[in-house]
Formats: sequence, C-alpha cells, structure tokens
Amino acid sequence: MEPQGIALPVTAYPPDRSDDLAAFERIMARCERRVLRVALRLLNNQQDAQDAAQEVFLRLYKHLGRLDLDDARGCEPWLFRVTVNVCHDMARKRGRSVALEDVTLEDGPAVPPGAQHGLERAQQLELVRRALGRLGEKERAALVLRDVEGLSTREVAAILGSSEATVRSQISTARLKVRDFTSRLLRRRT
Amino acid sequence: MNCAKWKIDIALYAGGDLPANRLARTLAHLEVCAECRLLADDLRAGQTLLSALQDEPLEDAMAAHVRQRVLARLPLEEAGIARRYWRWAPAAALVLAAILTIPWRSEKQAPLARAENAPPKVAEAPPAVAKAQRPVARRHRRAKPQPSEPLLVQLVTDDPNIVIYWLVDPKPQGD
Repeated sequence: MEPQGIALPVTAYPPDRSDDLAAFERIMARCERRVLRVALRLLNNQQDAQDAAQEVFLRLYKHLGRLDLDDARGCEPWLFRVTVNVCHDMARKRGRSVALEDVTLEDGPAVPPGAQHGLERAQQLELVRRALGRLGEKERAALVLRDVEGLSTREVAAILGSSEATVRSQISTARLKVRDFTSRLLRRRT
Repeated sequence: MNCAKWKIDIALYAGGDLPANRLARTLAHLEVCAECRLLADDLRAGQTLLSALQDEPLEDAMAAHVRQRVLARLPLEEAGIARRYWRWAPAAALVLAAILTIPWRSEKQAPLARAENAPPKVAEAPPAVAKAQRPVARRHRRAKPQPSEPLLVQLVTDDPNIVIYWLVDPKPQGD
C-alpha cells in the first residue's frame, strides 16, 4: 500500500549570499568614508568613530536581505540613521558629552590674540570641532548632517525620525550655540 | 534694539533654511539692524567652516582599518545567521508534529471526557436542551470512516542529502 505523502519545504540554510556580499563590498567602498566622517564628528574621537563605523557595516551586512542593494545611494539614508543611532548609544555608554558651561579656557586651541579672522584656518576648524563636541546629541546630529554633510532639511528629518520643523529648530539653536561658543572662547583669549 | 526674537530666524537665514513666509520680514529687519547683520555674518562664517569639515581628508589608514575589521568579522556574522536559521528548525518540527497529532488525540480522548462528565450533567441540569444535543452531533463525526493508511510526512531541507521522513499512524491505539 502506498503511504499518503505530504512534502513540506523546510529552509534549513540561509539563502545564497554571494551576490549580496559583492553588493555589500560595493556599498562599503562607496560609503565608508562618509560613515566614518559622520561618526568622527558625532563622537569626536578617532577610535570610537572606527568602532562605530565597524558596527554600522556589520549591521548593514545583517540587514542585506531587507535593503535594495542595487541602489547604493538608496542605502545612504539607512546608513546615516544607523550611524547616528550607534554613535548615540556609544556616547551614552561612554559618557563623553560635555556641557557647554563646562568649557574652560584651557579647552580651546592655542589661539593668538586677535579676532577670529586672524586665526589660522586649521585653528578655526579645530575651534568649530570643539564647539560641535559641546552640543547636545540631537542638535549635533542635525547640524552635522545638515551643515557638514550638506543634506537637505527634509533628508535630515527623515534620518532622525523628526519633523522638518523640529530639525529647523535644532539646527538654528545649534548654529547659535556654535557661534556663541567660538565668540566666548575668543573673547576669553583676547 | 532687543533682537533676541530674531536670532532663530537669522540662524536659519544664514544656512538657507528660513521658510519663504518669514524671509521678507527677516531681510527687512537685517536692513535696519547692524547688530543682527553682524550676527548673520558670524553665522555665515561658521557655516563656511562647518562645511569645510566635510573636505577634511580622512586618513586612508583609518578607513582601511575599519574595512579590514569588518571583513574579518563577516565569517562570524555568517555563522551567526546560519545558527539563527537552524535554531528555529527543531521548534518548527515540534509545532508541525503537534499540529498533525492533535486531531487524532482529541478524537481518542473525546469519549472519555464525555463519560466522566455525563453523570453530574444528567442529575443537575435537565433543562439544558442545547447540551443534550451535543453528543448527537459528535456521534455523526465519529461515524466518519478513519483513514487506515499510515500518513507519511516528508520534511525537505535545502540539503538534498537530508530528507526527514515521519510516519504517523492515524489509528487510535488500543482499538
């Protein structure tokens, strides 16, 4: 007697990922510097930025099946969002944030007496980097994405999961704080 | 002039983010307020510096180091993904087995359950007409012919060398 048979497909192995791996390497080659740069601006520390970038790309690898890998540009907002989240998690764990009020004269770069215009370019950049480091995490993320990376307000809002109005409020406050910080430091120096 | 209320709009204006409906008012204020013009100039200078941070070269070694670390971790991640797939296989098999077994078990246990409950029901509740009708319906179900052939469940995996066969005896034991 022939037994009744039911064939049930059971996926015991993950799907073939060799194509995904090639796409992953393409995306990584294309975006690694941008991810690293954002992480560096958000964390203000090279080692932390490298750790964060590594975590971002490992998460990308885990989510390969859910992303449109043919569109490397389309992956960028996802990568930025993950970068911001990873950096915020790391910053909270390591407690690196410093309030604007905590800044002392010694924190600033060696600035010669005189106005901001007299500073060397590298010193000006260092001053702005330090000012960024003093912002709150949300304001910093909004300012880095908008003013450093040059994304539109709408793109920043989508990445941060906020409204455009919220992002506008964050970047305007952040710009004023950066300006106040640099002016205050310069006034103390002169 | 107290310009505190203009600061936010000037900061947005400096970065080109000011909505059009507030632009004309802000420009008009900047025309008449030297202090705010100075603020706008400072903010624009800050904008230039912030955007210059994007052009700062990153050390090649830094990116290469990250790439190297990520690629070294990929085999571990791959193993983790495979483990995640395998982890669910026994659970899926158990659920499947339970689903296939439950109908026959309930058929087997139904008469016992009725036998245990029958005496108190007869003694306590004579007006329950609906309850009295229930055994009739079940008798109909029991009257169905039971399949006599063994049921073969074949679990096909992605590995062609691994096929799991599972024989289920549909006859209640003890008949």
